[in-house]
Amino acid sequence: MADEHAGRVLETIKEFANIGAGHAATALSALLNVELMNDVTSCSILPMAKVSEWLGGPNQVVAGSYTQLCGDLRSGILVVLPQDSAKTLLEHLTKETIELSSLNGIQKSALKEVGNICLCWYLIAVSKMIDIDMIPTPPDATVDLLGAVLDIPLATLGARVDTVIAVHTCFKAVDRDFDGYFLMLPEESTLKLILDRMGEPH
Amino acid sequence: MNTEERVVGIAQMAICHAPSKLSCLGLGSCVAVILCDPGLRLGGMVHVLLPSAPNPCAIEEKYADTGTRKLFKEMLVNGAKKERMWAKLVGGAQMFANMNLYVMDIGKQNALVVRKVLRELGVKIIAEDVEGSRGRSAYFDPATGKILVLTAFAPPRTI
Repeated sequence: MADEHAGRVLETIKEFANIGAGHAATALSALLNVELMNDVTSCSILPMAKVSEWLGGPNQVVAGSYTQLCGDLRSGILVVLPQDSAKTLLEHLTKETIELSSLNGIQKSALKEVGNICLCWYLIAVSKMIDIDMIPTPPDATVDLLGAVLDIPLATLGARVDTVIAVHTCFKAVDRDFDGYFLMLPEESTLKLILDRMGEPH
Repeated sequence: MNTEERVVGIAQMAICHAPSKLSCLGLGSCVAVILCDPGLRLGGMVHVLLPSAPNPCAIEEKYADTGTRKLFKEMLVNGAKKERMWAKLVGGAQMFANMNLYVMDIGKQNALVVRKVLRELGVKIIAEDVEGSRGRSAYFDPATGKILVLTAFAPPRTI
């Protein structure tokens, strides 16, 4: 019984997260002016401590955009793009050759904007679904070691968050693929509220 | 003791004798505090996440104040002599500078607290690679006392 219940809760959260990621893909295809399909390859509910392992180890270089919700819901949201996905995406967007090690002002800004658009459309989709407004703070982006990128969410939310809703999605365009990871780090009360609104007793 | 390379995760602590080695991967605002007794070639590392521990505190290794003290005690338990001991710090970067308004500079705070505690304990800090805006990985070899610091897009440094 307990397993069955846990399975249902996971399904509910998956649906929630998939719809968010789907909207982000639609927004990205508009931004990039290419047709993007996204198939959600996996959604996991992880404890905070397992996140860097799930993403492939703390020592790899990634692009990360982070924002927090202010308002009724309390959560951190992090979009992580692996190094080559970030590079391909930015190259397509700016029509320039990108060196992630030395992004110029406009390229950095483009990276932030990609993160911003992904984050906001994810939030708009899920907030419509549960009919609660989600107000994000302006996001910031960086390219660095994954472990270091995860430090801020861990440090600012670590005491109150233990569950991470992690979605790995692959955006497929005709001639290229991008991998993206959406991590939602809700506080306990927010996670309960989300499940409530999704009609799932917890 | 066998030779091993141990990765010290967030809110973890480890102590080892040469030729074993210790490392912290992907330090952002976290700080790795490294203590070493060169006489014994004994090294210890703690990977702290936040500056100050609440009271009561479940995981001492998570906080700069309690974590540094615990590491110091553990070094003494393992036979280290306070007079010979030195410290090095790595980490404490500010990863998302533009989020400053609502996320204070935790990295800087972490480093400040560690320095303060080490001063109270009477342990000298002989090298630091801290603050800035870049994440770091630190590889510590108690045999030489050297720490290799790697960042995403810069040549490796040794402190």
